[in-house]
Amino acid sequence: MTVEFNLNGRKVAAVGAPQSPLLWALRDELGMVGVKFGCGAGLCGACTVIVDGAQTRACQTSLADIAGKNIATIEGLSGPVFEAVVAGWTRAQAPQCGYCQPGFVTAATSVIAADQNATPESVLAQLTNICRCGTYDAIRDAVGLALETLRADARKAGGAK
Amino acid sequence: MSRAGTIARRTFLIAAGVVGGGMLVGAGVVATRLHRIDGFRLDAGPGETSFGAWLKLGSDGRVEVAVPHQDMGQGIYALAALLVANELGLSPDRVRPVQAPIHARFANPVMLLDGLPFENEGVLQRAAYWSFEKILRAVGIQATGGSTSTRNIAEPLRAAAAAMRDMLARAAAAHFATTVERLKFVDGAVLAPDGKRATFAELADAAAKLPPRDIALAPLAPDGLIGKGAPRADVAPKARGQAAYAIDVREKGQLYAAILHAPRLGAKLKSARLPGEAPSVRGLVEGADYVAVVAESYAIAAAALDRLQLAWDETNALAVSTKDVFAACRAALDRGADYRKRWVQETKGDVRNAAGAQITAVYSAPFLAHMTMEPINATALVTDIGAKVWAGTQSPQLAQMAAAAAAGVDTAKVEIVTPYLGGGFGRRADVGFVAKAVEIARKFKGVPVQTIWSRAQDMRDDVLRPAALADLSATLDANGLPATLVYRVATPSIVDQFVARVMPRAVGGLMADRTALDGALRSFYGVPNVSLEHFAVDTGVPVGFWRSVGFSLNCFFLESFVDELAAAAKAKPLDYRTRLLAVSDNSRAAKRAWRVLETMARFDVAEPLEAPREGGRVGRGFALTEPFHSFVGMTADVEVTGSDIRVRRVHAVVDCGLAIDPQNVIAQVRGGVNFGLSAALHGRIDFENGAIVQQNFDSYPLVTLADAPRIAVDIVNSGADIGGVGEIGVPAVAPAVANAVFAATGQRLRAMPFQLART
Ligand code: FES
Ligand code: FES
Repeated sequence: MTVEFNLNGRKVAAVGAPQSPLLWALRDELGMVGVKFGCGAGLCGACTVIVDGAQTRACQTSLADIAGKNIATIEGLSGPVFEAVVAGWTRAQAPQCGYCQPGFVTAATSVIAADQNATPESVLAQLTNICRCGTYDAIRDAVGLALETLRADARKAGGAK
Repeated sequence: MSRAGTIARRTFLIAAGVVGGGMLVGAGVVATRLHRIDGFRLDAGPGETSFGAWLKLGSDGRVEVAVPHQDMGQGIYALAALLVANELGLSPDRVRPVQAPIHARFANPVMLLDGLPFENEGVLQRAAYWSFEKILRAVGIQATGGSTSTRNIAEPLRAAAAAMRDMLARAAAAHFATTVERLKFVDGAVLAPDGKRATFAELADAAAKLPPRDIALAPLAPDGLIGKGAPRADVAPKARGQAAYAIDVREKGQLYAAILHAPRLGAKLKSARLPGEAPSVRGLVEGADYVAVVAESYAIAAAALDRLQLAWDETNALAVSTKDVFAACRAALDRGADYRKRWVQETKGDVRNAAGAQITAVYSAPFLAHMTMEPINATALVTDIGAKVWAGTQSPQLAQMAAAAAAGVDTAKVEIVTPYLGGGFGRRADVGFVAKAVEIARKFKGVPVQTIWSRAQDMRDDVLRPAALADLSATLDANGLPATLVYRVATPSIVDQFVARVMPRAVGGLMADRTALDGALRSFYGVPNVSLEHFAVDTGVPVGFWRSVGFSLNCFFLESFVDELAAAAKAKPLDYRTRLLAVSDNSRAAKRAWRVLETMARFDVAEPLEAPREGGRVGRGFALTEPFHSFVGMTADVEVTGSDIRVRRVHAVVDCGLAIDPQNVIAQVRGGVNFGLSAALHGRIDFENGAIVQQNFDSYPLVTLADAPRIAVDIVNSGADIGGVGEIGVPAVAPAVANAVFAATGQRLRAMPFQLART
């Protein structure tokens, strides 16, 4: 079957069996290799994408599930939240091998964007991804830095009014 | 076989001999090639200028450095840029690390030198060490592992950069009609005393024509960027999902393969058939012990794999189960001196002169998987005359040999591309996966084929951290210190198996495997009578190198046992270790260890154990280790509730000689602690009737954000020769946690993964 959906703001079509995982359509057909394969079983979060605003594991999402939906992958993320998250990740020098990191960054972006009052604890509690290199302390720092940046930006914007 | 292949194989034989501490054969034959090595220069493309083997000036004005090591997260690319930038007075982002070609110039002798059966101490040993290094630099294997990358390339890179700086300076001196001493290097340009400047690019042509001179290097010491570090250039692209791994290779017309191995080890494929229609499937490849489906997308290949009708020939299948492995280890240990593959790797004094109280304990650890985040995969394009392979390999040179054999082409006609590795941990030192990917692609000549191992297949085809069983026994003297230590460990030999995999016709079992006693062997504690014995047990289960491998076993066994001795002597764990250092006969090691211990003791006073929560009991444990020429002390605070162990905080003290980039040292040690903690708390690979039991992260859990402790790292710069960093965080955490659990509950944990009896 052919499934149409919005990918990073553009209408696209993917061809495949209805039960086929979104992960491979994104990686093999649509060129979104920033979405990583780690376990294929919903356990690691390497394949995290954002579906209609919510962090979602692409390996556990079938093509049939996403018809007409809005999918964002790391390649299509932009805006102040994403930039603050990347800046936090960079300042904390979080990635080591880096393979798990797009999944973490995507998940953190979706969680922070969805919650005006996000705290480091509330964000971290929703990051259930696995990092084999063990960068968890740096990720904790990165989330804190990202939230600080966003808060400082908000204050500046408030002051400018 | 081609000449290059012959040389490479012979080299490997030598290398393997050195690793195993065996006889070095044939060194004279290859030593004659030494003189040809230094003439090697990097090729310069249009607009580029080559400055020898390691450096060139790119057409964009950046300095390009050839890095013969793969970056698997340990940050060796950034470190290479840092060292070169520091010599040339550049900011590190003006230096671009690139994959070095496969060439003897880039061999890693350090990894093999670490396997020598003696230390680099004493006149004769130093002379032997020096000549081995010369030979291995010329003919050794290009590989990344054993926490050696920095130790291997720091000096050659600094020397190359210093020589390039000297050539640029002489060219500039001629250009400005002044002397070299009066010039300044400022961010990619050379400044004359009168303020006139010439960029590297402007000077490059003239500079490259000058004969390079040997520049005496000051010893590596904190200076400029050294000891301070710089942000890593790979971090932002990795966070943005822009870093490319082997699994991200997308070549024109590429096909995808899904692979499935026989469920039982040792079984062979009899037949495979795909029933029904499969329009997008391009074919099946039948390997010796696997089958692969090749299709236009991985999803199609993987779905077809599930539908295959398969028959396996189980004539030679293993029937091994986990309990058989430990039974074989037990039998070997009980056999004692009569056991055929028993290697006594160190003896001191006479352990039979034991008097006084005897303390014995049995320790064990299971097989472990690597679980690199990027599952095993490789892409290969095979033609009639050559092959190109994209693979996250730690051993590009062995990968080249394996690919050549699998493709049936000359070694020199195989190009190996190594993108970023999504984790290595020793798994990617083995090259069997490269051979299989090439075998599969060979059936589709002219078409690139990417073969991906599912997570279950990645685990099924893994070369595991060996399981081990150890008998430790000691007698205490009147002061409560050990008079004798008999340390006997039964575990498979990795070196035997590794050699056999690379050279199927080689005779195995000829040499000791030093890694089997790593962590037990280089003890800085003063024990007058010692025997360290390895019983090599073969269970048929494939084993390989694993982040810190032998240290991950022996540091747990030894440092937990030392805690047991302290308890028997009614001494505090830190005090007891201080006393053991005081009677050491290796004063250099003891001094470094003592500084680490002193820092641990200060932390112990300054940061007391926090009170338990409702219903919990807390404890603090310590461990002191010497992995990869570095010293690491660790303190772990645990909270035990029922049978649940929670590690709340870890404090590591690290002496790696000099921390060139402290932030990266901290990151590596923290990562190592989490790696070791996953093993201590959760990790086990089991077998039932020759088939692996665990399949994915649900049955092989790793530490996550929710349960990873806060890890603080204190760096002690002792000024000793630089030691390894990438693996050193792993070994100490298991004993520190086990000792903390003892402090909290009085229960000794002698088997990994830890399981606490409910109290
Ligand atoms: S690959 Fe989807 S959760 Fe692991
Ligand atoms: S950075 Fe390597 S798995 Fe997370």
